[in-house]
Amino acid sequence: MEYARPIMWNVPHWAEIALYVMIPIVLAAFAAGVYWRARKWFLGRSEPGVESVPRLLLAAIHPGRLARWTPAALFQSRLSPDLFALVMHWAILWGMAVLFLGTALATIDQDFTNLPFDFQLLRGKFYCLFEIALDVFGVVLILGLGMAAYRRYLVRPKRLQATRTGVSLWDGFPFLATIALVAVTGFVAEGLRIAEGFHIEARVAAAEGLDAKIRVLDEMGFREHLHVGRERQDVQVNRIADGGRVFPAAIWAPVGYGLGKAFEPLSVDAIRALHQGVWWAHGLLAFGLIACIPLTKAFHLISSPANILLHSADPPGRLAVAVESGVTNVRDLTWRQLLQVDACTWCGKCQEACPANQCGFPLSPRDVVQAVDSQLLRTPAKANGEPPSLHDSRVRPEELWACCSCRACEEICPVFVQHPRLIVDLRRHLVDQGQVDEGLQDALMNFQRYGNSFGQSPRKRPDWTKPLDFTLKDARKEEVEYLWFVGDYASYDQRVQEVTRTIARVLRHAGVDVGLLMEKEQNAGNDVRRIGEEGLFAMLREKNAKELSGARFRKLLTTDPHTYNALKNEYDEVVAPVLHYTQLLDELLRGGALRLHRKLDYVVTYHDPCYLGRFNGVYDAPRRVLGAVGTRLVEMPRHGPNSFCCGAGGGRIWMKDAPTSQERPAENRVREALALPGVQCLVVACPKDLVMFQDAVKTVGAEGRLRVADLGELVYESLGITLKSMAEVAESTA
Amino acid sequence: MNIAVVVRQVPDLIEPLEIAPSGTEFDFGSASFLLNESDDHALEQALLLKEAHGGHVTVVALDFGDVDNTLYTAAAKGADRIVKIARDDAPPPPRAAAVLYAEAIKPIAPELVLVGVQAHDELDGGVAPFLAAALGMPYVGVIRGVAVGAEPGAVAAFKEFPGAVMARMNVKLPAVLGILGADQPPRYVPVSRIRGAMKTTQFEESAAAAVSSEPLTAIARLYPPAAGSRAEMLSGSETEIASRIVDILAQKGLVK
Repeated sequence: MEYARPIMWNVPHWAEIALYVMIPIVLAAFAAGVYWRARKWFLGRSEPGVESVPRLLLAAIHPGRLARWTPAALFQSRLSPDLFALVMHWAILWGMAVLFLGTALATIDQDFTNLPFDFQLLRGKFYCLFEIALDVFGVVLILGLGMAAYRRYLVRPKRLQATRTGVSLWDGFPFLATIALVAVTGFVAEGLRIAEGFHIEARVAAAEGLDAKIRVLDEMGFREHLHVGRERQDVQVNRIADGGRVFPAAIWAPVGYGLGKAFEPLSVDAIRALHQGVWWAHGLLAFGLIACIPLTKAFHLISSPANILLHSADPPGRLAVAVESGVTNVRDLTWRQLLQVDACTWCGKCQEACPANQCGFPLSPRDVVQAVDSQLLRTPAKANGEPPSLHDSRVRPEELWACCSCRACEEICPVFVQHPRLIVDLRRHLVDQGQVDEGLQDALMNFQRYGNSFGQSPRKRPDWTKPLDFTLKDARKEEVEYLWFVGDYASYDQRVQEVTRTIARVLRHAGVDVGLLMEKEQNAGNDVRRIGEEGLFAMLREKNAKELSGARFRKLLTTDPHTYNALKNEYDEVVAPVLHYTQLLDELLRGGALRLHRKLDYVVTYHDPCYLGRFNGVYDAPRRVLGAVGTRLVEMPRHGPNSFCCGAGGGRIWMKDAPTSQERPAENRVREALALPGVQCLVVACPKDLVMFQDAVKTVGAEGRLRVADLGELVYESLGITLKSMAEVAESTA
Repeated sequence: MNIAVVVRQVPDLIEPLEIAPSGTEFDFGSASFLLNESDDHALEQALLLKEAHGGHVTVVALDFGDVDNTLYTAAAKGADRIVKIARDDAPPPPRAAAVLYAEAIKPIAPELVLVGVQAHDELDGGVAPFLAAALGMPYVGVIRGVAVGAEPGAVAAFKEFPGAVMARMNVKLPAVLGILGADQPPRYVPVSRIRGAMKTTQFEESAAAAVSSEPLTAIARLYPPAAGSRAEMLSGSETEIASRIVDILAQKGLVK
């Protein structure tokens, strides 16, 4: 026998009308809220490289981009390292989504097909499927909310608490509790409806004869409950009088069915009264929830997917500039940056990943984002004049300067916020006002004057080559295959110079045709740019680009990941391929140009430099080289994209430690390496890492227990040659 | 307040100084020049006074070395006027230079003249007191901070004396102050501001260039200082070195 979803069961006509009056009001409130909030994004400037937002949207609706958007936006793929959070979020989002879609389908069923055509979609088997899906996802939703409550009120993670920006364990409570109430009232209303069905069935069964049974049904107002045409009413009346169930699909709603059984002992009148009350509560709570979305944290339901859809397609190593002289207020940021701060879900994943935060420096990337967002929300969309400066109590210089620009925050952010970009934009203002740390000022003055942070004569840059028993070519004078852009630390730091020479020897041994810019090389400016000194970066880039244009080479090689990042992503003038030496060594080993004679039986761990790994995705080449030289690699818990910064980036290497710091990021990292069983050597592929970790090994008192070695040194060792035989190589190739 | 600041170029000592074959002058052929450190503080002090109390800052310099870069930086920092004294050759020694600076400063009629108290090319004495004499103004040197005083027509100048004693002096204006340090270290000037100043700043040429300034001193010979007695490097095992240290301390009568 045909049966369908009961429509507005036990709902009086006036209530039905009230409901229909409320729907457009709620939707209008929601739309107005979204408009109010989204308009604020466009208080910002235009985004460099983006013609217009509608065009960008059009481009974003592209199968390839949507395929990348779907896992991140709909399935929160960036939460995957935190399984608990991932499952919790799926449960809440998809529980809500299925219940919402179910309600939407029910609305179509009753208003678009039943009302005009006296026909229902939700009938028969499809209706049974609908019932079980909604019940299951209702349970999933409640379980998800339970997980959230467990984490917020029993686990109480630090990342969900920040007094300054108003982030607290209770901030999500009103919203989450309302969702829970909506889900619970939905189940209870369903249970009460089914309980009434049991009563009807019992009374029909008790009546003798078909007429009496039909009379019972009429007395109980069954026909009025149905809200369908006369013919369909007759079919249902006959079906039930015949001994059929009032709600044949009720067993497909196990939760509702169970609750129905529980409510059965109540009288019919009590059940009906309760049902109406709970039905109203359910409806009003759900309407309230929808209307409040734009005014609460729940707005991330809209802003986060929008941000993921509209995120920058530029490589992560290419830093955009909002205003060269820095950002003072929200209107100096671009619309994309304002969308990002508004997409933030306050989850604090960035804070947990932040090396500065973990070591007691006064920075939480989430708090910077939230400080900007709270100012944005206070700024009217039709703001005349300048909104208040962000550089007062909202964003403090010490937190901006604590950033190592390591991008761990951006990498982990589930909703694609670019915190380092925001921090650098804010730093530019401090630099513009001359508010820089003493050490940083010295470094910047040295960059301005000498093109290096060491305050050394530019003429001394190639001095590291002097102890070599061969000479390196001058790429300005003769053509070379590889122009080696050496970098400051590799050229000037006495501890690194020997490693630089070792790499030169390895390259020489492999017969690589390599030359230098000699004293004309200047710092590539990667860190200068991230300090926020855009003008100085532009000056350094101009000078280097001029020298590079005068040299003849096919590829650019560098030993320094920071230099690698700048040359590869930020020097538009450079068209030649840029290689990090670990990539070249990998190529040489795989191509057979470099043959190793000694297997090294060390147990090592490898530190992924931020600007090589997270910024440029080079993870495999150095690991292949480590395998080729014979070492056994034991990974640190934080490796690959999750690597932990040494603390030198973003200009931190020149700044003083914060008075609140408990340890240096490099010490934290060295302790991580020391905790690995049997690891003898921490292998690095960045000159700054070498310096930072060698110091840290000393300061944590682990001298003699852990060797810090450059990858190039291990390759050199496994070549099985001595300095003397190098001299022979030099002679034979001369 | 109308303030004049004198800034000077000195050779950058990251490159070794070369003595010319004549033996009486430096070979500045490959040297680079930078702003004299205490002049940088004098400029900073002038700008701090201007920021706090309003006023007008004029920077005066001899055209030499990388002076343009220094002057654009001064303009980027907030100097209002830049006056350049044209020169064909290296700056004369301080006594003669002070005459040139005084000629350039007189038309500005400043209430306060700030100049670095020292520079490492001061052959026959400090420029600052000579300048005060040439301008006929009183002079106080080795100043570590200047504030606008309670008295009109005077400033408070701070000076540190040996034995950790600070003095606050009321200096009647006009006056010349030899600055050792500003109230706060010179602030960083971003390159974009310097580049901006290069586009907008006009240098004024001073008529002082026409004034002849005969040096009163002449260099007889320039030479690197003769090495005195060198430090004794201890070598050997730890025990040997330790016992040697004990011997030395005993010889000096520091231990018995």
